[in-house]
Amino acid sequence: MSRAEVFTSRWGMLVATLGMAVGTGNIWRFPRIAASNGGGSFLVAWVVFLFLWSVPLMIVEFSFGKRARRGAVGSFVRMGGPGMAWMGGFVALCATAIMFYYSVVTGWCFRYLAASLTGGLEGQAASEQLWSSFAGTPKALVTHFLALALGVAVVAFGVRGIERVAKVLIPTLVAMVMILAVRAVTLPGAEKGLAFLFTPNWGDLASPRIWLEALTQNAWDTGAGWGLILTYAIYMRAREDISLNAFLIGFGNNSMSLLAGIMVLCTVFAINPGAQAEIVGAGNEGLTFIWMPQLFAAMPGGGVFMVLFFAALSFAALTSLIAMLELATRVLIDAGLKRRHAIGVVGVAGLAFGTPSALSMKVFQNQDWVWGVGLMLSGLFVALAARRFGLERLRTEMANGEGSDLRIGRWWVWLVGVLVPLEALTLMVWWLWEARGWDPESWLDPLGTFSVGTVLAQWALGLTLLLLLNRWLARRSGVAPEEVGT
Amino acid sequence: MTGTAIATMVVICGLVWGGFVTLLVRAMRREGQKQRGDGLDR
Repeated sequence: MSRAEVFTSRWGMLVATLGMAVGTGNIWRFPRIAASNGGGSFLVAWVVFLFLWSVPLMIVEFSFGKRARRGAVGSFVRMGGPGMAWMGGFVALCATAIMFYYSVVTGWCFRYLAASLTGGLEGQAASEQLWSSFAGTPKALVTHFLALALGVAVVAFGVRGIERVAKVLIPTLVAMVMILAVRAVTLPGAEKGLAFLFTPNWGDLASPRIWLEALTQNAWDTGAGWGLILTYAIYMRAREDISLNAFLIGFGNNSMSLLAGIMVLCTVFAINPGAQAEIVGAGNEGLTFIWMPQLFAAMPGGGVFMVLFFAALSFAALTSLIAMLELATRVLIDAGLKRRHAIGVVGVAGLAFGTPSALSMKVFQNQDWVWGVGLMLSGLFVALAARRFGLERLRTEMANGEGSDLRIGRWWVWLVGVLVPLEALTLMVWWLWEARGWDPESWLDPLGTFSVGTVLAQWALGLTLLLLLNRWLARRSGVAPEEVGT
Repeated sequence: MTGTAIATMVVICGLVWGGFVTLLVRAMRREGQKQRGDGLDR
């Protein structure tokens, strides 16, 4: 690796990776899911799966990226063999398909940040009016373009650009969320929000749903198994640690989720306790873009905190979008493109394929559903490729190898080899089974927004193409035949 | 808030935030040791 393609320091690598992990899911999904799944008992299951899903997969991804020095496809080819190029291709496809609509979400955050700065969210009905006149309209296309353009501009400068931006945005994001959380817990009545979040009902732990929701939250908001950590690990210094960094990112991500949960629920219970069930049940967009502005508008000095909230959300979204853009860009660089050409192709593709999600909430929700569940398959593929390379070899040569600051025991081999694949399969089956119940009449409809059929049809299309192109993908992965398995 | 809720809050926040801060301090200390021991770490 040239000096220009390496993180300048461990701190730089950590903030960039934390920026990848902390996204809108920490701020808009975690508080809702924790509140609607038993509060304290959910939190116990959520912490357990940090150790049983997120951290083990992060160690695999760090090891792959550092060892192979290639993107998702090239890493799978080098570590698992040319026959696994299609699996790496699916990991890249899944994260890139998410990037297409995540750019739309980032644009929404920018729009609300602008509205909060210009006083456009004052008054109880303002947020709802803005949402209905904006989301799913050509106006959302403008902010989608703006978000993509910003992300492309950062990624065009390579890892140094990513590191510089993360060094500014991530400490600022942490400071803003801490200020918001402190303000929220000092509001009169905030203790009811804390009680709601932390009161455990131990009987809930006997319910499989709590555990599956906790596992899902870990799969969606830590970034483990997405191929993103693998991509940033390409730029680790030669004597960089793997295991301690994996734990650090996992704990850092969940620390932010916990802060966001306290911030959101204390604000809800202090300002409008009567509507808590409606607010928590309003969905990600409803909670964030309709209810939170209304709650801030009713809070003393709420205008300032509303700006902080949407700035935090925008920073979290942008740093995650940058990671997704870099993942797709890196795959093209491995295939032989220069960085500026690769990011150009990714930017144009993002604009084109994100447009349907910007213009239609149904398309957006469909893509979020299809590729959200796809991440579980992606996590399964990461675990299978690690098994193929040899988990004990990966543990001794990479996790406990040069630069290691934390020794990993044999438990990790068992977790990645057996438990993680079982977790991934269980989650996929559970979510598809749930979806069958949402619409029993047309659950196999490939054109349904939340059907099982739409997931299977889009996965089948992607997987068929990748399998047909497997040899070509392996040849264009940037991995020489003699490098395979080394 | 009940005693159980307070206890759960202390344990969960202590584990997650305390774990993060402890790991961060350890990582930065190790980084300092590596740089003192090896000069430029590349």
